Amino acid sequence: MTDTEKKLQDKAKELLEQGKVEHIIGYAAGSLKFTTTPLITKDKDDARQLVINPFIVNNLSVFLNDIKGKIGIVAKPCDARSIVSLLQDQQVARENLVILGLPCQGLIDLRKVERLTGKDRDDIDDITRNGDKVTVTTGGKTQKFAAKEVIFDDCLSCETPTPPEYDFLFGEPSSATDKELGRKNIKELEAMSPQQRWDFWKQEFSRCIRCYACRQVCPACFCTRCFIEETEPQWLSPLPRWQDNLLFQTTRMLHVAGRCTDCGECERVCPVNIPLRSISKKVEEIVDELFQYKAGMDKNAERFMTAYEPSEAEDLMR
Amino acid sequence: MKKIKKSDLNKLLSQWQQKYSVFAPSNHGVVKMTAWDGKDTTFLDWYRNTVVPPKNNFLPGMEKMFDIKKDAGYKLEVTADDTKQLIFGVRPCDARALALIDVNFKDGYEDTYYLNRRKNGLLVGLGCTSPCASCFCTSLNIHPAESQDVDVMFNDIGEELLIAEVTDKGKELLAASSGLSDATAADEAKAKEAKEATFKKVTRKINTGEIKERLMPSFENEEYWKNVAAKCVSCGICTFLCPTCYCFDINDEQSKGEAARFRNWDCCSFAVYTKMPMENPREEKWRRVRQKVNHKYNFFPMIYEQIACTGCGRCIRQCPVNWDITQVLSTLPEKAKA
Ligand code: SF4
Ligand code: SF4
Ligand code: SF4
Ligand code: SF4
Repeated sequence: MTDTEKKLQDKAKELLEQGKVEHIIGYAAGSLKFTTTPLITKDKDDARQLVINPFIVNNLSVFLNDIKGKIGIVAKPCDARSIVSLLQDQQVARENLVILGLPCQGLIDLRKVERLTGKDRDDIDDITRNGDKVTVTTGGKTQKFAAKEVIFDDCLSCETPTPPEYDFLFGEPSSATDKELGRKNIKELEAMSPQQRWDFWKQEFSRCIRCYACRQVCPACFCTRCFIEETEPQWLSPLPRWQDNLLFQTTRMLHVAGRCTDCGECERVCPVNIPLRSISKKVEEIVDELFQYKAGMDKNAERFMTAYEPSEAEDLMR
Repeated sequence: MKKIKKSDLNKLLSQWQQKYSVFAPSNHGVVKMTAWDGKDTTFLDWYRNTVVPPKNNFLPGMEKMFDIKKDAGYKLEVTADDTKQLIFGVRPCDARALALIDVNFKDGYEDTYYLNRRKNGLLVGLGCTSPCASCFCTSLNIHPAESQDVDVMFNDIGEELLIAEVTDKGKELLAASSGLSDATAADEAKAKEAKEATFKKVTRKINTGEIKERLMPSFENEEYWKNVAAKCVSCGICTFLCPTCYCFDINDEQSKGEAARFRNWDCCSFAVYTKMPMENPREEKWRRVRQKVNHKYNFFPMIYEQIACTGCGRCIRQCPVNWDITQVLSTLPEKAKA
């Protein structure tokens, strides 16, 4: 246990003990190597299970809608941005939250480690981060990588190493961002002709199995009824044809534009490895370019595309 | 018993390809059984198990059931898929899973779509050598390197693969195959040793006896189920990728003068499950999580006297929140009263 973890555990315990919150949402060690799992608890004794490590991947704000009462929530910067966005959309009330903010230096992307080492995660003995270096041990042999090579793309693109909103902060911010590297996949797509891009996405979305994990882990997808499940009328077919899969995802991405905080969860959880962030990040960039708007930065900011000025040049709305 | 050099496997698969649609593990974006490309057998070096289970070959993610055409006097044309599939590299857990789905799709109503594909299909098993940390097949009486649920079984013995016929269909397949040599007693001893070594590598365990005793008495323990369900996000990963899950949804499509009926995978984790015919009786998440566990470990065994889980571990490894069925099954709170 690190000092920071200890401080976090103590605070969580204290909040529960003093009745300041009814629930704590944080991370506990997972059941497999290099995993963590969401810890959602009312029990003060569970606070000692809380961990902070480079594998705390889940965006826990997705659970806020599920749970009633006052909540103490552990939040990395991108998760805190999602919380801010939910506050703006009045999905949660600030007075019901105690935000236990964690500055972040980027999380380790196991798929990247597997690609670089040519080893399955089960065959890797240890992955340790030390500042800018990540050491991977496999069968007694160690390999060193620059942190930039193994952290998630969305972490490389991170603009907020410290949460934009918090009540308590645990740890020091430091980051190994590389904005260009973080948009590598997007740049490759931008360099393609429209036909090549079409073929690319056709191939990618042919694999989609419509498990809807991408939507279920997305804090911005908070609709109680999603368009994809509407039957009267039916907007899109529930059958997993690539065309409908692509339309489902592009529609979802448009719905979350201005709310997506580039937490990267949709891409991480997709069981068939569709590079969903190449869409969400691009949409985020377009939103920023056209509307000078970044999601989840300021809880008092006007929400994206919800206010209309009569002076705006859009005939449709007049 | 027969054997073949690993470097000659492509020749054997090519032979089979003359008569069958051969499928083998590939990794184009995701590891799954894919139409074999006629040459690549490098999967022998990296393949542990597929992410998408081979049930996809028999109960595909979507399939057309029938067409109706107005011109033809609204006649119903049932879709018949008579493809002769040969799936190479099926793991023992997944072969057992198909045997479990068979039981359900043969019971009372016969599901011809599925059963037809099974009838026309050949399963060629490949014993595991490096089980995943999430595998717990041995607790479900499945040997990771042996199977009676395939037609032919292959086992890795180093430079070569040992080949055993299991069913009559498998016997015929091998009789018609050339390029195989006879295995020696030394080969068989090597295989035996390798199998035992693999068996020991499966370290995740559950106690099915204990589970049987505790699951029903724990059914009404709402607090327990609410607790274990809390972190589940109700996606379709653990059921769609589960080799034994067989729920499907029906969807009709209509255009001018014609219509068609399709079916596609459905899953009891979804809040909208069974919304089409009625409402979902399990609107709350904890009821859905309880259902998933009980269907596999309680209700299915009540009817068919077998647990509908093969310990393949996909639901653990692929779950976005590391919801681990083995942990849940080992913390069931209640015990039957003596
Ligand atoms: S997570 Fe991936 S497979 Fe599942 S619905 Fe989303 S895009 Fe499709
Ligand atoms: S995809 Fe759109 S409709 Fe569906 S949950 Fe997300 S935001 Fe709502
Ligand atoms: S247990 Fe995991 S994979 Fe299954 S529905 Fe819940 S979150 Fe999805
Ligand atoms: S319940 Fe999990 S471990 Fe069991 S067969 Fe299904 S996916 Fe595999």
